[in-house]
Amino acid sequence: MQLSLQGIIPVPLAEKVNAYQSGMWKNNRTFNKGEYVFIQAPSGTGKTTLIHILYGLRKDYTGDAKWNNISLANTDNETLAGLRTNSVSVIFQDLRLFPELTAWENVDLKRRLTNTVSEQQANEWLTRLGLNEKKNSMGATLSYGEQQRVAIVRALVQPFEWLLMDEPFSHLDHANTQKAINLIGEVVKQHGAGMILADLDENNFFAYTQTVIL
Amino acid sequence: MSDKIQISLLRTLLLRTQHKSRLWAALAALTIGTTLLLLSVMIWWSFSELLYGKKQNDAMGSTYLVVGKRVTEQNMGQKNATIFTAQDIDSLGHAAQVQDVGVITSNHFPVYAMMGGRLAFATDLPLECVPDNFIDKMPAEWKWEPGNLNLPIIVSSQFLDIYNYVFAPSQGLPQLSEGSVKSLALNLKVGEGDRAETFSAHVVGFSDRIGSVLAPKSFIDYGNQKFGKAGVAEAPSQLIIKAKDPSDTKFGDYLVRHDYTTNSQNLRWSKIRAIVEVVTTATGILALLLMGIGTLVFILFIELTIARAQHALTLLLQIGYGPHYLSRFMIQRFLPIVLGTVIFSMAITIAGQAAASIAAQGQGLVLPMFPGWPVWAALVISTGILVLLVTKSISGAIKK
Repeated sequence: MQLSLQGIIPVPLAEKVNAYQSGMWKNNRTFNKGEYVFIQAPSGTGKTTLIHILYGLRKDYTGDAKWNNISLANTDNETLAGLRTNSVSVIFQDLRLFPELTAWENVDLKRRLTNTVSEQQANEWLTRLGLNEKKNSMGATLSYGEQQRVAIVRALVQPFEWLLMDEPFSHLDHANTQKAINLIGEVVKQHGAGMILADLDENNFFAYTQTVIL
Repeated sequence: MSDKIQISLLRTLLLRTQHKSRLWAALAALTIGTTLLLLSVMIWWSFSELLYGKKQNDAMGSTYLVVGKRVTEQNMGQKNATIFTAQDIDSLGHAAQVQDVGVITSNHFPVYAMMGGRLAFATDLPLECVPDNFIDKMPAEWKWEPGNLNLPIIVSSQFLDIYNYVFAPSQGLPQLSEGSVKSLALNLKVGEGDRAETFSAHVVGFSDRIGSVLAPKSFIDYGNQKFGKAGVAEAPSQLIIKAKDPSDTKFGDYLVRHDYTTNSQNLRWSKIRAIVEVVTTATGILALLLMGIGTLVFILFIELTIARAQHALTLLLQIGYGPHYLSRFMIQRFLPIVLGTVIFSMAITIAGQAAASIAAQGQGLVLPMFPGWPVWAALVISTGILVLLVTKSISGAIKK
């Protein structure tokens, strides 16, 4: 699945975008499946906004963003649900877990939408990220770092062609970041998918990337 | 959506904020509205069945009218001017609201009634007969064969009323109950001269329909044949008709058009019917209003539940759950509640119908044990509207 951006300018950030000359905005770009893209930019320049636009959460922009021929600005919620279930997965910066569900239930709720990843596999991934003993803890009681790892596993338990990540390792220590990067790398490779990572600084993930947008 | 764990998780996220007390209040409102609506249709239908149905509820439902041709200054004195021909009878039988037509045959022979004792009197007595199915309540003794000297007769209730409330007080005579009148014997001298015969007549019943004295048809036929005056027309001058609703203007117009007269006080059932219709219509409108309010309360409860789960719904949409999927989930939770309510209301209505049927039986009326098609139609229509409103409101609220 191909992603094409045509001169996108988010309306609320229009002034800032003009002042800050970023490769993210106003340009026409095309990304092909399997491509690893790293968007490195300081805070407040619209990284999260771009991820939200690509995931279809925001429509307040000019220009066009398309997944194949699906223009996100004009897409209804049902089509977006199809995209989010089968083609595009995301790790939100603010994680967006359900506090009233346990770590496992947060993952399982997403997994059961498609049932393409087994229960055993999902459990194993949680264990790999050091959450074995936290699986039955309520989302609200997990630390931010633990929640971040749950959100990473949740993003992997579905079929996808693109994985969008918004500062996914911001609250992880070096060891856990490395574990997460390895897991994400493996799963993305299995799917033959592309990745878009938005972050403040270079991290170990930088080694994977083919395209860097500053 | 057969995944039980998934359903359980969605239930935790979307329905845990549901207030049980509010749910019960909404259900109570819906149940009361639906039940009242179905009951009002049931009551309306039951009355219709009693008044217009094909069951044997004649005393309640049909009106019996005695019809004659109006005597005017133009036809006064004309021979056979007020006689009904076979064509007249057939035409009347096909008139609007007319269910049955019976011929009233009168005696064409002299009948002289006498009684001795304290109530002594002697008078010429006109007799009539009607087909048996036009008699109010068929007395067991209502039969006569040639050679039988005892003659059963039915007299108009009005005769007894006139005697008890007008004649007896003015003459210082004792008032009489129906039972005491039945115990009296009346001597009837039939025919003239040497050929005259004497019978002992007994009142065996009273009629609200006929304003004269009735004798069995076999006796009138016997008398007309044996003692009847030659040349007297045998065609009837009066007919008795059974009408569904004599207040129908088409029926009234027919009578006016043909210049027929009738006893208008018999239209009393029409007035009762009109009152029943007004009452059931008013009840129906009230029930419809209550059901509307009940439905509104229930839909507001659904919308409130969805509004309280707004955050979870938004997150679910963001992780890939589609609006249709979530709408279906919510509809599958609420629809069984709605259908359960409707089934409960229908059960009450069926029980009500059965109770009405038993009560009607006690009054000698026939009413079906199960509700008729209008009640089922009301059930289907109200359920359809409820289902439509619930699904629309859920889909709309989730879409929003």
